[in-house]
Amino acid sequence: MEALALKSTGITKYFHDPVKLAVLNGIDLEVKKGEFVSIVGKSGCGKSTLLYVLSTMDRDYEGTLEINGVMATGKSINALAFLRNSTIGFVFQFHYLLPDFSCLKNVMIPGLRLGKLSYKEVEEKAYEKLKMFGVEDQALKMANKLSGGQQQRVAIARALINDPAIIMGDEPTGNLDSKNTGVVFDLFQKLTKEYGQTIITVTHDEDFADRSDRIIEMADGCIVTHNKKLK
Amino acid sequence: MKVNVNTEIAVTYLWARKKQTLIAAMGVMFGISMFIFMQSLMKGTNDYFEKQSFSNTAHIRIYNENKIADTHIMETAMGDSSVKLLVNPKQVQQSLSIINPYGLIRMLWKDPLVADITPQVTADVIYAGGNVQLNGNVFGVNIVEEDKMFDVQSNMLKGDFHDLDRVSNGILIGKGIADKLSLHLNDNITVRAATGAPVIMRVIGIFTTTIIQTDNSKAYVNIKQAQNLLGKDRNYVTDIKMTLKDYNLAPPKARELERITGYKAEDWVQANEQLKAAFKIRAVILNSVIGVILLVAGFGIYNILNMTIYEKIKEIAILKATGFSGQSVISIFLQQAIYIGLIGAVIGLLVGFFLTLAVSKIYIGAGNLKYLPMSFYLPHYIEGVGFGILTTIAAGYFPAKKASKVDPVTIIRG
Repeated sequence: MEALALKSTGITKYFHDPVKLAVLNGIDLEVKKGEFVSIVGKSGCGKSTLLYVLSTMDRDYEGTLEINGVMATGKSINALAFLRNSTIGFVFQFHYLLPDFSCLKNVMIPGLRLGKLSYKEVEEKAYEKLKMFGVEDQALKMANKLSGGQQQRVAIARALINDPAIIMGDEPTGNLDSKNTGVVFDLFQKLTKEYGQTIITVTHDEDFADRSDRIIEMADGCIVTHNKKLK
Repeated sequence: MKVNVNTEIAVTYLWARKKQTLIAAMGVMFGISMFIFMQSLMKGTNDYFEKQSFSNTAHIRIYNENKIADTHIMETAMGDSSVKLLVNPKQVQQSLSIINPYGLIRMLWKDPLVADITPQVTADVIYAGGNVQLNGNVFGVNIVEEDKMFDVQSNMLKGDFHDLDRVSNGILIGKGIADKLSLHLNDNITVRAATGAPVIMRVIGIFTTTIIQTDNSKAYVNIKQAQNLLGKDRNYVTDIKMTLKDYNLAPPKARELERITGYKAEDWVQANEQLKAAFKIRAVILNSVIGVILLVAGFGIYNILNMTIYEKIKEIAILKATGFSGQSVISIFLQQAIYIGLIGAVIGLLVGFFLTLAVSKIYIGAGNLKYLPMSFYLPHYIEGVGFGILTTIAAGYFPAKKASKVDPVTIIRG
């Protein structure tokens, strides 16, 4: 049996305002290591909500969540912060870089937080990641001086700095043109194939979804199919 | 060098907002420099007045006091302590002399706390020069000892006080007496005490103090001369004045001496109650002013950090999403507060010092006070920095705590 990167059982989540409403309804999900999974579905079907639960940032849910074989449900906030820092990289729809820091620093910060490598090593590694996305020449610029596409690529580099076992993306290519989307996709594929990293993304981009290993389709807080074929 | 990532973020944030950082630091600077300045002024003034009070008050003065009549003699005589009434008790007339004064002085010298002891004969007298008469007090002293205790030399206007020991009927008079009786150096003055015959004395010196009352009434003579004036023997001593190595020990020591000797022992604190009251009042005024300044500075820091947190709430959410714990976020913002405090403290120390230095150069010229008395006392500077940092930590903690509570999901999802 292949090792699981992520496993959820019966995840149910309610929104309480304005009325109690189940956004997620007993989600059972398994993602294998090295898999490239896309979650698709209409707006409001709960796919982003699910992603935030899977990322351990949202703790307000019922059911259980295992990440890399470790039970994440019920862990303290600080323990989850460490878990995110070391094993999950997150890419948002918007880049969310820290504008007061250079791009290089932005990429380095989660690495420095983890504290496994020396400052110099983290710096080298950050350079390497920036190079992967072709933005190494922007490394010393302040983050707010870059174009939107460049910023997003820096943000993806930041998510990869600690070589996380799982990379989660909430429409990571939403702000990228088709050329850059292609670059990012190729890279994601390379990460899964060569480094065995797992990727879970929420996307509206059908082409992007179509090229991933597996598509999970959601509707009304439930998973409709675990392996959708678009074409 | 390994710089903590929290520290690096805190410093970057401060650096990115130089103006606000500086303004917040200025608030702290103002508080600390005012603290140091006011403390220095107050301590300087207090020290000055304390020293001033020692120029005419001994640390401890032992003297004999008339006592109110009580029943203890009756009790001794009758041998029982049943009901005795003493209606309308009166003061019992006693000799003002201390019995066996030199024996007592020898005993007191055995105390290791004692720095100096000198006997004194005080006499109420009438000065006469020409047709004018003036009331006053003559102090029969050992003038060398007196100078050691009270710095007579600094008050000397004319003449040499050592002549009291050389000229047999010499007298050292206050400037007021000299003016009123129109006396100059080496003039004669008639001094008459309540007991004893009038004595003609020669003015060997004139002194002036800051207190007109004293200048108008006080005169020094040799102790033997004072005994002659009163028609008393050489064992007649009315006061024993003591200087201790540490004047703060005077009050308990005085109580102890009262118990041992049975005489009244007055310490300098009792003799200068109004001075102590003034010290206390000044301390209250000072502390409330400084408290307000530091409070305002604290609110400044609180405000600026609060604004920073509102502005950076998304960044805080991102930091938390990428694995920064609540403690790390607190550390980032508390460090900002502490650095603001440190910058303010360092500048505040310098400003406080130079302000104190500048003010100590201001000429006042009132009485024998030439310049504003300022003290340069290290603990004030340490306290100032301590209070400043404490204020900033207190002011920074609450915004930092708030920042640590930021929920990344609600912020990022909007």
